Amino acid sequence: MKRTYLFTSFLLLTATLVLSAGCGTGGKLTVLNPAITSEMVDREPLSPRLDTLEGKTVYMVDINWGGPDAAYSVFEEMTAWFDQNIPSVKTVIKRKAGMYSMDDPALWKEIAANGNAAIIGISG
Amino acid sequence: MGIPSIGAAGANVVNYAIGYNFQYTNGMPIRYVGVPFPVAGQPKEVHHRYVFESNDVVSGKPMMEAVVDALTKPLTEDEQITGQPPDAVVEPRLLPPDTEDNLQQLFKDKDWTDYNPIILPTEERVAAMLAGTSHPPDKEVKLLSWPGGSRSLTVEKVAVNAVMAGAKPKHFPLILAVATAVPFGNSTSSMANMILVNGPVRNEVGMNYGGNVMGPHSEVNAVLGRVFTLMSKSAGNLHAGKTTFSTLGSNLQYNNLCIAENEEALPEGWKPVHVQNGFKPTDSVVSVGTGWSYISSVGEVQIAYPAQFLMRDYMRSLAGMGASVIMDPTVAGLLRDTQGFKTKEELSEWLAKNVKKTVASYWGNGVVSTMNASMAIQGLEPYASQRKLPPNTLINTFQPRSVQVIVTGGGIQTTWFVTDFRAGRGTLVDDWR
Repeated sequence: MKRTYLFTSFLLLTATLVLSAGCGTGGKLTVLNPAITSEMVDREPLSPRLDTLEGKTVYMVDINWGGPDAAYSVFEEMTAWFDQNIPSVKTVIKRKAGMYSMDDPALWKEIAANGNAAIIGISG
Repeated sequence: MGIPSIGAAGANVVNYAIGYNFQYTNGMPIRYVGVPFPVAGQPKEVHHRYVFESNDVVSGKPMMEAVVDALTKPLTEDEQITGQPPDAVVEPRLLPPDTEDNLQQLFKDKDWTDYNPIILPTEERVAAMLAGTSHPPDKEVKLLSWPGGSRSLTVEKVAVNAVMAGAKPKHFPLILAVATAVPFGNSTSSMANMILVNGPVRNEVGMNYGGNVMGPHSEVNAVLGRVFTLMSKSAGNLHAGKTTFSTLGSNLQYNNLCIAENEEALPEGWKPVHVQNGFKPTDSVVSVGTGWSYISSVGEVQIAYPAQFLMRDYMRSLAGMGASVIMDPTVAGLLRDTQGFKTKEELSEWLAKNVKKTVASYWGNGVVSTMNASMAIQGLEPYASQRKLPPNTLINTFQPRSVQVIVTGGGIQTTWFVTDFRAGRGTLVDDWR
């Protein structure tokens, strides 16, 4: 009787240990990844830089972030800096059509035709 | 444009802008100059100081020296790379096997959770979730295009997040419909979202639209609101310090103001939101919108100052672009029976007509100014005329169609909220069964 009791207890203990190894914190789980691989667009090189800004036309484009008195005012100060420090630079300040996230192909075309460089901003 | 260009950004944004996710989204590694923050709201003399006396926060050089350098310094090797970016990360379908504790920690380390425990998305659990819809696992629910390239949010990826949030298969069609609006609002100004459910699906899945509708007292409301955030973070790739930049954030992003309308308690003549938007009463629809503010009436309606007047007063505090008035059915009943608003539309029209803000207050809001000032400058009405008025002039800024009325709650108190959340037209849940 006593031997049978010990044997049964041994079997129960073994079974408990086996189950614990398979299902408890000791076991390993395989789970699905919630993140998604990003499809990146191909890299494009930057446009070549100018040798100098002397005699060049620099467009400054206000993207309208923060209202009409934000970037525009900073660009006016940049214009003042160019006037004092590199007076041969011609500056043109433009407000982009629509709010900051909207495209403005006509302005980009104008700048490509008439400008040598551009500063676009100011988000913040 | 084919000419050398640089981006100028505030110091608060430029740290994110020069990172992988932003810089290569359009394929071109933009040269940025970092202007001190804030730019908006500062007087001219501060802008003068930024340009003449401050340093570019990217290079550390004096501001205009940095501008000149960015336009004239030859391109680096990295700036001339073509083809796929070297840092593109491949996400495997299955994660390496690990213990439950380690996986829970991994999901936190990856910022895929809301930092509450999740249900781990085992293959068995995800397969069970997928049984909740007739759509195949690889069907694209939405193509997410930003930040960090484009990502296809598939039915299976939604199921993974649904399991993580604690959802059941019967919730899945509703969750798939919500997934069409992923990701959540992401703005420096700290916005959030609202999820509104209408139609028979409310009762099919047991959504709460009675007492405590906005509180933590319903499994479906809790799970549905939570899964929108989990999807936005994991599939949407929105991570604090990398791709999200809300200065205060919003506690509402834990549940996204997830509610259902109490259509059964609408007063006679008041239509459910989805019916107002052109759906049939028998359609099941989920609508998602963005907003910032949430103001409570606090107490019960008073006869000396009926609800619409206090709503009008409180709505003056909103930005003035769109609003939702969320009210208990008892408020709706009072508005109809004692104040004569026979329809929701009549109340929207009254509020649009009677909520007035000063010109200064309206244009003094940064989001309004960012969104609408450019249209005013281009001569678009009514913005152009409004900007020319004296600052103390009172103007109407809401249109009747921009004031949404939602009835929900348990009839326990005559309480209401005015919010600047405004849900869109909505998505048919039935398309995702």
